[in-house]
Amino acid sequence: LPICHNGYINCQLSLEELFDRAVKVSHHMHFLSSEMFHEFEDRYAQGRGFIAKAVNSCHTASLTTPEDKEQAQQIHHEDLLNLILGVLRSWNDPLIHLASEVHRIKEAPETILWKAVEIEEQNKRLLEGMEKIVGRVHSGEVRNDIHTPWDGLPSLQLADEDSRLFAFYNLLHCLRRDSHKIDNYLKVLKCRLIYNNNC
Amino acid sequence: PPEKPTIIKCRSPEKETFTCWWKPASDGGLSTSHTLLYSKEGEEKVYECPDYKTAGPNSCYFDKKHTSFWTIYNITVRATNEMGSNVSDPHYVDVTYIVQPDPPVNITLELKKSVKRKPYLVLTWSPPPLADVRSGWLTLEYELRLKPEEGEEWETIFVGQQTQCKMFSLNPGKRYIVQIHCKPDHHGLWSEWSPEMYIEIPTD
Repeated sequence: LPICHNGYINCQLSLEELFDRAVKVSHHMHFLSSEMFHEFEDRYAQGRGFIAKAVNSCHTASLTTPEDKEQAQQIHHEDLLNLILGVLRSWNDPLIHLASEVHRIKEAPETILWKAVEIEEQNKRLLEGMEKIVGRVHSGEVRNDIHTPWDGLPSLQLADEDSRLFAFYNLLHCLRRDSHKIDNYLKVLKCRLIYNNNC
Repeated sequence: PPEKPTIIKCRSPEKETFTCWWKPASDGGLSTSHTLLYSKEGEEKVYECPDYKTAGPNSCYFDKKHTSFWTIYNITVRATNEMGSNVSDPHYVDVTYIVQPDPPVNITLELKKSVKRKPYLVLTWSPPPLADVRSGWLTLEYELRLKPEEGEEWETIFVGQQTQCKMFSLNPGKRYIVQIHCKPDHHGLWSEWSPEMYIEIPTD
């Protein structure tokens, strides 16, 4: 019998270990997203009333995700896993551009720059981990169709500074929101599938 | 007409419902009524407060059915009397970020002896009853503080998500005060501190 590392069964990570790692990454990714949003808000958004304009403007808004505890508990775990995958995929493209475009912001602090790069990395890692979990849990075929396109690059490159800053604000606001959803849903799934709702 | 009312605070105690409070407008002695109106992100419709009673005067209580997360609520309060009416500034709220739990409960303090016969303190506690941490919907983090009864400075210790803690290197013969509070992971506010609990460390 091959000798497996701690947490492995037949040299495969247990589902519990997969979830543990996924929640660690999602927790960290949301922490970074939240920090980045606050830094940007403090530095570039004070008094500009961006929040009122940021209403209903996330590119992932068309994905019907649970909005309260009851919805999160009633949705089938396979559907919730697919939604998480869909949200993660929907952020691949914008995170690539965010990491490159953030350099153009006037006096963009180093802390915002490296966070954008780190979050892009975390998003990829989490996507890989989630595909393993889905592969392990799914009875049927893994669905790749849940994904929402992002067409926000031109607005990140606008000449008018106020419009461009609002575009960044809105993207970071949506990233904070979606990364929090992912983290919250993963914690619910982990408690449901691993601990039988007895975390 | 009455002056502009102001929305003071909105709070969710368990990430399932929330309540908003407002400061009534000064009304110059005329009988003035208040109406809370809100709209939700992604919807044009304007709703009125679903429940003015449950949370007491000058408040609006949103039960589970009326509470959505990751959704911006645009809330205003209108004051009206026989001279006319006036509307508060809009208050933008996402309930995700206004969770302030109740304090932890069932706190126990137990003195034990280490193998080297040194006393140490074992603290255990439970999440506030309203908070559903078992399903994973709400994840709480805890912080405890203690100080000698006559001391001035609290020592504050963040203990993450665990609900028990061992404390060593306490001074024999001292009487200590201990309190615990909690907060959702990521967003929200620390709860109030739990009631003070006392423990005396034996001298032998």
